[in-house]
Amino acid sequence: MALKFKGKTWIFGDNLDVDNEIVSFAKLHYGVFTHDQLGEHCMENVDPEFHKKVKKGDIMVAGTNFRCGHDHPHAPQSIQQCGISVVVAESFDENYIKNSVAIGLPLIELPGIKKKVKEGDVVEADLHAGIIENVTTGESIKFKPFPDFLLDMLEAGSLEAYGDKLIAEGKG
Amino acid sequence: MLKKSWPKQPDNQKYPPGDYVQVRNTSRSVFMTSDLGVNMPAAFKKRGWDKIWDPQKALVAPEHAGAWWRPIDKVSQRESHRQNAEWARQMGVPEENILDLGRIGIDHHMSVEGAWVTPGSFYLCGDNHTISVGGVGAFGFAPSASNNFIMRFGWTWLRVPGSVKFIIKGKLKKGVMGRDVLEYILKEYGPTVALNKVAEYAGPIIDQMSIDSRCTMCCLSVFIGAKTGIVNPDKKVLDWYKARTDYPFEPLASDPDAQYAAIYEIDGAKIEPMVVVPPHRSTVKNIAEVEGTPITNAFIGSCASGRDEGLAVAAKIMKGRKVNSKVVFNITPGSSASMTRATESGVLETLLKAGAFVCAPGCGMCPGFYTPLAENEVCIGSSTTNVPGRMGAESAKVYLGSPATVAASAIEGKITDPRKYLQEE
Repeated sequence: MALKFKGKTWIFGDNLDVDNEIVSFAKLHYGVFTHDQLGEHCMENVDPEFHKKVKKGDIMVAGTNFRCGHDHPHAPQSIQQCGISVVVAESFDENYIKNSVAIGLPLIELPGIKKKVKEGDVVEADLHAGIIENVTTGESIKFKPFPDFLLDMLEAGSLEAYGDKLIAEGKG
Repeated sequence: MLKKSWPKQPDNQKYPPGDYVQVRNTSRSVFMTSDLGVNMPAAFKKRGWDKIWDPQKALVAPEHAGAWWRPIDKVSQRESHRQNAEWARQMGVPEENILDLGRIGIDHHMSVEGAWVTPGSFYLCGDNHTISVGGVGAFGFAPSASNNFIMRFGWTWLRVPGSVKFIIKGKLKKGVMGRDVLEYILKEYGPTVALNKVAEYAGPIIDQMSIDSRCTMCCLSVFIGAKTGIVNPDKKVLDWYKARTDYPFEPLASDPDAQYAAIYEIDGAKIEPMVVVPPHRSTVKNIAEVEGTPITNAFIGSCASGRDEGLAVAAKIMKGRKVNSKVVFNITPGSSASMTRATESGVLETLLKAGAFVCAPGCGMCPGFYTPLAENEVCIGSSTTNVPGRMGAESAKVYLGSPATVAASAIEGKITDPRKYLQEE
């Protein structure tokens, strides 16, 4: 996989809590919806229509401290299920990226991104090259690429598929 | 502390903050939870993985939910634990590492109580409140969705954090607990003050603080963004370990000349009992601003309290008094060991006589196990978070405070400053 993504952006704010803004912990926990329906409830406490508007391959842009609070893995699952291909945030809480990479959803930390992208801009992200291009404005922004082992994990599509690869290579 | 522990990691390289590195567990155990629908055997079978990384280190227990069961789960907690335990035996995990109800508690409690985590180690376990173990000078880190991978390969990865230091000076007012100190930091400096950094707590107040309160502060460091919270292990901690384990460990402490991204000096005398108000986890007020708010429920428990100290302060306040007629006061010891000590000391008797509802050890009401909140109820808890629906109905409101504040509020049926009940000492 080339780990290149191109899509329309959706902009969100700061301090999005895993269990409140991103997807309701309570509704999942008490069975109002199931794991298979997480995508339909993504960001509904911020924008109830979001899951209907977002299209497969779109890109989420968020502010500081993206994914605060607990480390529940349903948050990246919800974002992935609703079609988002990559998340770019001003800053993020670390546990999120672990859970995100574990399911093959990349997250890029890029301070200043919200000043360079407006909602609806088309953005292209190249994880190997470490470049995000705002196709709408023509501006390119560099970021430090992930190390090889993380790019390998993302290319494998999930942490467990990466584990299979390690075993096949005699590293497990 | 952190830099010193890195050379023990596999590739022994230099680790500048911001780099992503692979890290290996260096503690006595790696926790494998076996409830809340975790089914490691099925995940391994699906992938054809036929062994675990180090059976001697795997620790298996139904620790979060314990005996509780939610009807929506396809597999019950008991079934889930039975499958995990049987599989662990097949994988060669020693019998003494496979624990069950009556001998366990929340992983973050029992890891310290049972010395499964050792000072100076890098410890991988369950969810992000694992960082509670910073209270005994260990670097806790949550594998969360990487559990299966870690159990198979023994390593995970993180982004090397910088550090921030909070020096708490002076003396705390009576009735102000470790919890209040952490919430004060959140109120003063906000939810990103330690974002992805190690939050180190030091100074005379921390030196005098109990291990329980240190663990509480580290546990709640999640809410100031910290990757982990930590306190340098002192004699108190080392004595605790010497009494509990022969397992060899090497305590580590931060260098006196360590570099910090920021150092915050805090006057402990300025800290009042603090209350987190709904619906956001980062809205914190002095108790005076919310005193008198009527409540219907009170809760002491979870990895943020539920330790001996929290139960004891509640008993001190409740002694000879009664829970308000309009309040259900759920008290859930964090572990069977803690419950045993509270029985021996008379703490539980006091709480039961006061009319508290004492539940089986585990996370308790924090994620809505036992006495979940009904529509529009108002609770004050000493638990982790107050996101809507966390403890039951989404319409319910959750305030958070120290165990002392919770106990005083349970007596009066409204949010109450605990200091009026702690004057007679």
